[in-house]
Amino acid sequence: MATLSLQNVQKSYGGLQVLHGIDVELEDGGFLVLLGPSGCGKSTLLNLIAGLDDISAGDIRIDGRSVIELAPKDRNIAMVFQSYALYPTMTVERNIGFGLEMRGVNGNERSAAVKQAADLLQISHLLDRRPANLSGGQRQRVAMGRAIVRNPDLFLFDEPLSNLDAKLRAEMRTEIKRLHGRLGTSVVYVTHDQIEAMTLGTKVAVMKGGYIQQFADPQTIYEKPANIFVAGFIGSPSMNFVTGTLTSDGRIARFEASGVRVEIPSNSDEMFDARPAVLGIRPEELKVDDGESAMLTGTIDVVEPTGPDTMVTVRIGEQPIVARLPSRFSGKAGETVGLIAHVNSMSLFDYQTELRVPL
Amino acid sequence: MDTGSHLPKTGMIGELSETRYWIYLLLLPSLVIILLVIAYPTIYGMAISFREMRLTRPGLTGWVGFKHYLVMIDDPVFWVALKNTVLWVTFAVVLELGLGFIAATALNRNVPGTGIFAVLILVPYFLPNVVAGHMWALLLDPRLGVINDILVRVGVLGSYKAWFADPNTALAATIFVEAWHGFPFFALLLLAGLKGIPHDLYKAAAVDGAGPIAQFRLITVPMLKSVIAAAVILRVISLVNSPDLLLILTGGGPGDATQVLSLYAFQTAYKDFNFGYASALSVVMFVILMVFAYAYIRLSKIGQE
Amino acid sequence: MQLNRREVLAGATAMALASQLSTARAAGAINYWHHFASQSEMEGLVKIIALFQAKYPGTKVTQEGIPNSEYMAKVSSAVVAGGKPDTGMVITERFADLVAMNGLVDLSARVKAWPGKSSFPDNRWKGLSQDGKIYAVPAFAFVDWMYYRADYFEQAGLSGPPKNFDEFVQAARKLTDPSKGRYAFSMRGGAGAFKYVIDVMEAFGSPIVKDGKPAIDRAAAIEAVTFYSDLFVKEKVVPPSAPNDSYRQIMEAFRTGQTAMVWHHTGSLSEISGALKQGTQFQTAPMPAGPKAQIARVAYAGNGIMKEENIEAAWQWVSFWGEPEAAIVLLEATGYFPASTAALQDPRLTSNKIYDAAVKTLEFGRLPNTFVGAAGWSENVVNPAFQSVLTGQSKPADAVDRMIKGLDAAMR
Repeated sequence: MATLSLQNVQKSYGGLQVLHGIDVELEDGGFLVLLGPSGCGKSTLLNLIAGLDDISAGDIRIDGRSVIELAPKDRNIAMVFQSYALYPTMTVERNIGFGLEMRGVNGNERSAAVKQAADLLQISHLLDRRPANLSGGQRQRVAMGRAIVRNPDLFLFDEPLSNLDAKLRAEMRTEIKRLHGRLGTSVVYVTHDQIEAMTLGTKVAVMKGGYIQQFADPQTIYEKPANIFVAGFIGSPSMNFVTGTLTSDGRIARFEASGVRVEIPSNSDEMFDARPAVLGIRPEELKVDDGESAMLTGTIDVVEPTGPDTMVTVRIGEQPIVARLPSRFSGKAGETVGLIAHVNSMSLFDYQTELRVPL
Repeated sequence: MDTGSHLPKTGMIGELSETRYWIYLLLLPSLVIILLVIAYPTIYGMAISFREMRLTRPGLTGWVGFKHYLVMIDDPVFWVALKNTVLWVTFAVVLELGLGFIAATALNRNVPGTGIFAVLILVPYFLPNVVAGHMWALLLDPRLGVINDILVRVGVLGSYKAWFADPNTALAATIFVEAWHGFPFFALLLLAGLKGIPHDLYKAAAVDGAGPIAQFRLITVPMLKSVIAAAVILRVISLVNSPDLLLILTGGGPGDATQVLSLYAFQTAYKDFNFGYASALSVVMFVILMVFAYAYIRLSKIGQE
Repeated sequence: MQLNRREVLAGATAMALASQLSTARAAGAINYWHHFASQSEMEGLVKIIALFQAKYPGTKVTQEGIPNSEYMAKVSSAVVAGGKPDTGMVITERFADLVAMNGLVDLSARVKAWPGKSSFPDNRWKGLSQDGKIYAVPAFAFVDWMYYRADYFEQAGLSGPPKNFDEFVQAARKLTDPSKGRYAFSMRGGAGAFKYVIDVMEAFGSPIVKDGKPAIDRAAAIEAVTFYSDLFVKEKVVPPSAPNDSYRQIMEAFRTGQTAMVWHHTGSLSEISGALKQGTQFQTAPMPAGPKAQIARVAYAGNGIMKEENIEAAWQWVSFWGEPEAAIVLLEATGYFPASTAALQDPRLTSNKIYDAAVKTLEFGRLPNTFVGAAGWSENVVNPAFQSVLTGQSKPADAVDRMIKGLDAAMR
């Protein structure tokens, strides 16, 4: 168990900078998710933490101790790979115990540790098999067994669930959460799946283009996204964006667009007059209100019942938005509908900078 | 073309194509070709080895049983050639495998510009044996050879050496030439094999604490095992069977110092015109190769995974 | 374009029927296998074909060059598997094997009726006949002789070329200076070594074959092999590369000045003349005499007919090579000696002093040994046996025993 501290971590390949000064602090026993689309630098960052690649500038500290001069094996970390990276010629037992074997742990002690890890992951019956004879889920468990058997300071997961089908993925996600709760070891977890990030992480770093876009707990990331990129990346279906203007007198901020009129109480002293802005509303926050207080008014375009919910696409002026409404919604395409949402669930972004406008 | 009148026939084949016999019909041409160009000559060659067949003695003919094989036991040249074949093939393959591995490892580092080297390194293999042989005969020439010149200049040699004229160096020199000529074959196959090893395995091993030697032993070699095994078998077969390089460099000399079975069989057939004895030599080579391939495949356990 | 299986089958069936190939060759066209390779040889051949075409416009000749070392392999494959050419080059050393494998057609009747026969004395036919039957028409001759560096001889204070083996060794000692990288004699120890091993054996009085039976005189042969190999082993008047030196290497050694003497035949005159100056730098001399005999080969090369079809056109072609005009064209291009006496009278030959040695050799030179199995025994037995003496792997006596044993096996 340990803390992790990334200080101004930079990485360049020749003239190409792929990480621009990453700063992250993870508490002891925390679960850090590096989230972002492919090419955002999250896997590179993980490799730097593991020591599989050399850092260009900055520092990485595990439990307060700088590790950038250390080889991967000396950082007391364990890693789980997307491809599982099991040694194809070794049995499951030797695969799990390999790290201990390389560290000179004797046979009996090793068997005991392997047995314990295998029991924890419910793969004791597979110990004599070779990786080729395992299913995807079983391989994933072996890969995790190989990580936990060493009792490291830090677990590194590199998209560990990406190769599994949807059902197994959900199952293993729960398993990882359970293991983390039980072992309490700090984790760095790379994924492009926002659901994994939200369910697993105690901290999420959303990355894009080698920069951290937002570093916060999942709730904050969901409720108060720092910019349009984060707002759009988190949540499914993704947040609706409506372009319009923002006017504020310091007490009340008013957002207006064709078919939209929202007033939000403001604590900021800043005052704007018809500043171009983007309003973000999550589909699940929208409710039908055909009365006077409707904030958005438009024409129903498509109605898609999914069972528990009904997804309704509404044209507000020229801008389509999606509302996730209860299944009892009875509106039809072509009808006019009014929608409201709680003002606290809304986000406002500057049109130019795409950054959140604090109110 | 009058295709119309033949359509009914095609129609019949069309009917057949819907049945399970279709697959056998499709296999038929290749089966026929294999029987004609491989099975028939092989069996015919084996049959000749039990006959007297000397082109220059049309009168001498008929079955002679194991005569040629018994003669072989008392033929000192056969035993020398057998020994040389084993030495020549073993050392050449080991050298080629080693050089090929080094080349493949170097090419596998995705450094810019290695594409050019990948092509350059293959050049020796593109050269026909005959061209490579003549080229090296010149490079190692005792009068004009560049290699001799370089070795004398750097002080390794006192004077030009006739590498192929000295029985102590002739076989080694031909092995060197063969290794130069054949290593790209291994480099190419091993490079393909290396590219197929997931990079994550090395990362996992690094995290697990395995050093470069352990990684090589526990990941690279096992992952390349079937490639290495296949490449070695192919190369051994082609080395045992092809006398052309030796034919050009030494002709088996001096004094049988570089005589190998394939060359001996070739000379027996085309200089002595003694096809019976040459066939018996070829059958012995065939048996040795079969035993080798079987044992090697068993030992390297290809097909187990 | 999408084709379904039935359409593909229909197309394939039709194409198979359409592709009826015709392989028949037009009458009056013949092909000719030869082992000419050098530029000068090819130039001569092309000129002869042009002359022939002018004389016999109705017969078309297609020439196919085959490397000398592969010639017999190709011909024997053609005899076994079919595909013999209409006509082919025949040299004396290979004559017996070619006849034995039924590779040549009996031409006796045609030769008797041929007016050109009078230009060829009996010895010209001897190497191309067997059991009284003639199988090929002589075209040119390779006459053995010796090339020597006149300038080296002068520097060494030698008045002239050695006339016998004793003088040869004496001269060789004077001409050798390893510190200058200079050796007296280009010994052929690699491919083709057998030729001079056999010659020296005969020069020491050991025949090879007599009346169709092996006839090596063991004692004389051992003496011969000892003498010849000692040039390399004891006297060291031969370059150290000798055990692997074949035609290319011995010629290179002579042309580049490494060696002072080389034994070969008239065929390499033009090549040596290209590198060294006739008269001042190099000269020619008859082969030195051995203790029992002076051995130099005069090998007549000719052309034979290999199959009966097109035999009229084939006869026109092989007999044309015997005409003086063809022989002179070849002499001009390559220096190859004419086989016909008519051509030997040509002033271009009689006036050139460099040919004197060859003309003298014609008086005593003998035919190469021809017996069935000669090629295999020479190359597969004599070569390695002699090489192993050169390299110290065996003694002359062992080598001779191996040669005797091999000869018995070859002729059995």
